[in-house]
Amino acid sequence: MSRRAVDAIFQALFNLSDLRALMRETAPDHAMDDEQRQRAATYIEKTKRQIAIVEEELIR
Amino acid sequence: MKCAIDIDVRDVEELFINIDPIQAGGRLTPDAMKAAIAYGDGYSVCDACQKPFRLDYIKKPPIAQFHTDLAEWLNMDQVRVVPGARRGFQAVASTYVEKGDPVLLTSLAHYTEFIAVEQAGGIPREIPKDEKNHITPDAVAARIEDVIDEFKRAPPLMFLDHVDYQYGNVHDAKAIAKVAHQYDIPILLNGAYSVGIMPIDGKDLGVDFVIGSGHKSMAAPAPSGLVATTAEHAERVFRTTRSKGDITARTFGIKEVEMMGCTLMGVTVIGMMASFPHVRERVKHWDTEVARSRRIVDALLSIEGTRVLSDYPRTHTLTRIDTRNSFDKVAEVHKKRGFFLSNDLKKRGITGVIPGSTKVWKFNTYGLTEKQADHVANAFVEVARENNLSVS
Repeated sequence: MSRRAVDAIFQALFNLSDLRALMRETAPDHAMDDEQRQRAATYIEKTKRQIAIVEEELIR
Repeated sequence: MKCAIDIDVRDVEELFINIDPIQAGGRLTPDAMKAAIAYGDGYSVCDACQKPFRLDYIKKPPIAQFHTDLAEWLNMDQVRVVPGARRGFQAVASTYVEKGDPVLLTSLAHYTEFIAVEQAGGIPREIPKDEKNHITPDAVAARIEDVIDEFKRAPPLMFLDHVDYQYGNVHDAKAIAKVAHQYDIPILLNGAYSVGIMPIDGKDLGVDFVIGSGHKSMAAPAPSGLVATTAEHAERVFRTTRSKGDITARTFGIKEVEMMGCTLMGVTVIGMMASFPHVRERVKHWDTEVARSRRIVDALLSIEGTRVLSDYPRTHTLTRIDTRNSFDKVAEVHKKRGFFLSNDLKKRGITGVIPGSTKVWKFNTYGLTEKQADHVANAFVEVARENNLSVS
């Protein structure tokens, strides 16, 4: 059992939920201002980090 | 894209600006989306349910505290969460209305209020609206007198829609509650279009029950809602069961009759809880929401022939509009008939107007950003110009 992997899966989904909310906030054209682009970059980066943990725990 | 066999992903909110009249206040917050991911399993909130085995006593997750916080926020004494506002109406009507009792509701009342009265065996009596589509204290007093003449007794309950679903008009609940109380009639405030989007103070309004809808105005999954009441009425509407099995002699402790034991389990209550801090904050910004609503309504009114049927200037984000002399004139000759409007809006990334509607229709601007509100306002004007309607 890997608690760390389970936490990372949830955290990745939560980060993607924040990204989803940003898509709602910027619908319909999703043209983002600087602050929104920065938030998008942060959510994506955080998601990547969580996916890396999942990989490390479950596959490698 | 599918999320499961034969079930499409619902990506309406991600791809469009949605101005559907009933959906605006129920869109989930990001925290509620996260809660839905974590608490989707059926009995997910029941892991730490201990004696006396009732939902509103669960401490982890903090459902008990949520009940306390909700009551305080509405300035009422007790709250229960229920599966939708309609189940709140049902609980109160079932408690207060006996077979054959007259029950007051208004000519703008939602159908679920009629059904709650019918289910309890009551006889609905409507209070007429005035020429401005308002329920006035004078009309309430007059109707109470009529009912007393007819039934030889006062109604045991009155329903009032704080904001009616037809026009989105805000009614003078405080003055109306005062009239009802002069006749000792308890008053239920249907806050489906107010609780969760605008500030509500139940004690200040002087109402006996405040009913809210989670999925309509509290950024919560469906079906969810709340029923709040004063200490005076709590004991009656939240009475506990006295049932006893005649063979087994079983009794059922503190389960509440009108709540059917536990009420709002799993993702619905957790979604409501997750959104609550945001909801508590967002009601403070009601003026901004109304200002955006006004901007869009004014854009529509700049199109010759268009009339607003709701109060003007707007005091709510739900609006009923009459375009029989503008967009409907286009529909008469357009090759897509009445569907041109929803089609043209959809091309501009806007959804929520019933396809084919060009006569009298409703929309709700709640929750739009500044940029989205501008986009919607401009889109209506552009569609009008493209179809040779005059814009001032």
